[in-house]
Amino acid sequence: MKKTKLGEFEELVLLTVAALQHDAYGVEIKRELETRLNERLSVGSIQSALKRMEEKGFLTSAFGEATLKRGGKRKRIYYTTSHALKVLEEMRAIRADLWKSIPLIVSELKMI
Amino acid sequence: MSLPENIQPPKWPLRLMRRVLRTEYLEEIEGDMEEVFQDNLHQYSVRKAKRIYTWEMLKLLRPSLLRNLKSSYTLTPFAMYKNYFLIAWRNLAKKKAYSAINILGLGVGIACCFLIFTFVQTELSYDTYHTKRDRIYRVTHGSRISEDPKNLSKAAPSWVWGNAPIGPALKRDFPEIEKVVQFSGRADILLTHDDTKYQENGVFFMDSTVFDVFSWNLLQGDPKTALVNPYSIVLTQSTARKYFGNENALGKTLRGTDAPGRAYAGEYLVTGIMADLPDNSHFKFNALLSLSTFKKSLPEIFDNWDYADFYTYFLVNEKFDEAAFKQKLPGFAQRQLKDPKTRYLIELESLNDVYLKSDADRQPGETGSLSNVYVFSIIALFILVIAMINFMNLSTARSMERSKEVGIRKSIGAARGSLISQFLGESFVIVCLSMITAVCLVVISLPFMTGFTGKEFNIGLLVNWKSIPIILGGMVLIAFVAGSYPALVLSGFDPVHILKGINKSAAGVNLRRGLVVFQFSLSILLIAVTIIVYTQMNHLLDKDLGFDKESMLVIDYNNDEAVNAKSQLLKTILESNPSILSAAFSRSVPGSHFPNAGTEIETKDGEMKMMTQPIFEVGIDFIPHFGLELVAGRSYSREFASDSSRALVINEAAAKQYGYKNAREIIGKKFSQWGRTGVVIGVVKDFNFTSLHQKIEPLTLPFQAYSSRYLSIKFKSQNVTKTVEQVRAVWSEIAPQRPFLFSFLNEDFNRQYQADFTFRKLFTTFSCLAIGIACLGLLGLATYMAEQRTKEIGIRKVLGADFRTIVMLLSSDFIKLVVIAILIATPVAWYVMNQWLESFAYRVEISFWVFILAGLIAFLIVALTISYQSVKSALMNPISSLKSE
Repeated sequence: MKKTKLGEFEELVLLTVAALQHDAYGVEIKRELETRLNERLSVGSIQSALKRMEEKGFLTSAFGEATLKRGGKRKRIYYTTSHALKVLEEMRAIRADLWKSIPLIVSELKMI
Repeated sequence: MSLPENIQPPKWPLRLMRRVLRTEYLEEIEGDMEEVFQDNLHQYSVRKAKRIYTWEMLKLLRPSLLRNLKSSYTLTPFAMYKNYFLIAWRNLAKKKAYSAINILGLGVGIACCFLIFTFVQTELSYDTYHTKRDRIYRVTHGSRISEDPKNLSKAAPSWVWGNAPIGPALKRDFPEIEKVVQFSGRADILLTHDDTKYQENGVFFMDSTVFDVFSWNLLQGDPKTALVNPYSIVLTQSTARKYFGNENALGKTLRGTDAPGRAYAGEYLVTGIMADLPDNSHFKFNALLSLSTFKKSLPEIFDNWDYADFYTYFLVNEKFDEAAFKQKLPGFAQRQLKDPKTRYLIELESLNDVYLKSDADRQPGETGSLSNVYVFSIIALFILVIAMINFMNLSTARSMERSKEVGIRKSIGAARGSLISQFLGESFVIVCLSMITAVCLVVISLPFMTGFTGKEFNIGLLVNWKSIPIILGGMVLIAFVAGSYPALVLSGFDPVHILKGINKSAAGVNLRRGLVVFQFSLSILLIAVTIIVYTQMNHLLDKDLGFDKESMLVIDYNNDEAVNAKSQLLKTILESNPSILSAAFSRSVPGSHFPNAGTEIETKDGEMKMMTQPIFEVGIDFIPHFGLELVAGRSYSREFASDSSRALVINEAAAKQYGYKNAREIIGKKFSQWGRTGVVIGVVKDFNFTSLHQKIEPLTLPFQAYSSRYLSIKFKSQNVTKTVEQVRAVWSEIAPQRPFLFSFLNEDFNRQYQADFTFRKLFTTFSCLAIGIACLGLLGLATYMAEQRTKEIGIRKVLGADFRTIVMLLSSDFIKLVVIAILIATPVAWYVMNQWLESFAYRVEISFWVFILAGLIAFLIVALTISYQSVKSALMNPISSLKSE
């Protein structure tokens, strides 16, 4: 967990890639996230996140098919690496752990 | 709404993206962007989709997606170019005098080239507007030296003018000939419509096929039938306006007098109006009369193979083979004349060659001179070369100044290629500036060219889609040649040497000297040629022609019979005027048109020999009137009644033609000419009745009292206008039906040299310009040299050199070069001018003083040019020259 920091947004993108499986390319990821987050995202933000994560070794990618809608350009399909899954898993564990350790009162107090 | 697929995202963001994003990401991101755009199109308006696209595109500009600036840094040359321009500009501005010399010199040079180019283009454009010109030919008529049919060498230059039956015969014998068009020689006719009356000189009796062959535009009337019927006339637009004003001329009539020897008087019906002839036509006219008019009036001429009054042009079809056709012509001539030994020689000229390349006599109109075209092209080249040498010289001379710059540029890392392009670019900038100067000069001077040559020049000849690439190419070429030395040599310098201050410029100096010598050889050549052209022209004008041409008034009444009938009366009235010395009638005057005649004269062996020569039918007083000198026998006289029909006066050349070396021996010999017989009574000394380009031909002067065309009046030279007015008064009283058309004989005669005068004027102008440009260059060079040596001169002066030594020091270099140039130019000029003078039968000898004079002029010009600078440097105070650092 030391050097492989994953930002909040990056984590979301990474999860989406993992969820989408073979459909995980730029626009599809964007669409998926937009519906889930209920906010507009820019291509640039998704792309830069993807690129950064690829550099860090969370993702690999390969060219997919081209469609007319894309002006004949090929898609780049992203795949999560096992390292990424492991990190995601760790993150979840950490979070879950943390949730558990929050005293009930605090949450209740906060809720008030 | 159109299909979303057809709507393209805005272009510029895409371009921006392609520029700045990492190339390996481009395809994916572009695809994504496109897909999003397409999705948005379904959701929003096109405009909003585009806006989103653009905005998204801008948001792509993130460090992780951008190209790595450091690693993919590309050299943009723009900054460097900017620097080149800056330096070029600074160099121009710093040395204003040099820049002015360069730009002005080159500008004048280019302007000269342009002007000469328009002249040449105009000459070359003759008759090119005929769309069928490649298929139009004309015949020329000549005679061979011998009866041997294989020997085709000609006795004299052929004539374009010839017999009539050849036309129909050609059409009959050669199926490849589509149309034949024949027309008479230039005819003169007085046309009248109500009160409007003009003598039309140079009309033609023209075949009806004319509009099938030549591309003249018949605006009104039917081209097929306009010239079919006798007494039909086709007018050019301006002629129609002259007679009929703004009325429609078609269908109206013009009363025409007789055209002597061609047609009787009659009413001509206007059957067509044609557009005015283009200036570049090799023969021109104001009106065309139908050839059938001629045929109706004098039908016998149309079967006579010996008569000469027709031009024959024809149009051939695609199958025509020129070489094969020429082979068939001798056979054709023999067949038609039914004489296997005939000397009659028919030749062929293509319409493309008639203006510039025809050497035949008796042309239907003016001809140009191919050699002039060459001469002026060469001058244009000379001028350009001289201007370019200036440019090269000044840039080589100044190259030393620039060498530091080159050294530094090279040390900083400039490649040789970029230096070469820098210097070539600089010279291109100068050429562009010169071009602008040149264009201004051309626009200013084009009207003067028209005045010079009498021809209309059209700027369209210069600026059209064909010439622009040539001009651009020329500019690049000039820039390259003129800039090549500094570009190639300077860029090759070793920076270490330059920056240390070691200059190896010996090669540059020699090159410069060579160029100056070359430049001045050209200039001296031009000076010498100009002098010779001038002396030759003066020789022509001043030569004693053997007859009086001064103070001679000539009235042209075109063989009007009514005038001829009253000739005696006219003469008596005129001669009673104290300011008129004498008056005489004749069919031709020197310098005008004359016919040829076949004459039989008894030879020494006693047999009658037939020869052809020009003929001047004259009145009784012609010989004393024109001051012709008799070498043997007597002139026509009223005391001998038989003189009116049985006597003949000839010239010396004619006596020689019949084998009499001594003119006296021919007196009393029998002659027979044009139906007359009698004896030769006198021989006049040869006089130049044609231009001095030609040798004096044999001539007969038969006495014909009543078939004259010209009245010539010799008057006392004081108060010319008054005399002319008096003659006019007499004329309008006696011959009111004839317009008073007068001219002065010397002017008429000298008009034959029009082309030579034009040549002289153009030549002089352009050579002066050439010399001027050369001097400009020399001035620049001298100034530069003196500047370079300011210190040296200062030290010399301090050490005691006097004024003279320093002037000599600075001048001797150039003077030496000019002497070499004189030595080179003299033989070339001599050779060239001998060639030119060949075209004159009467020419000056080229004497040696011409070259001495030319050399001297060049020498003086050079001395003047450089003395200014050398004197200035010599007078400079050494203190000021030595302290400047």
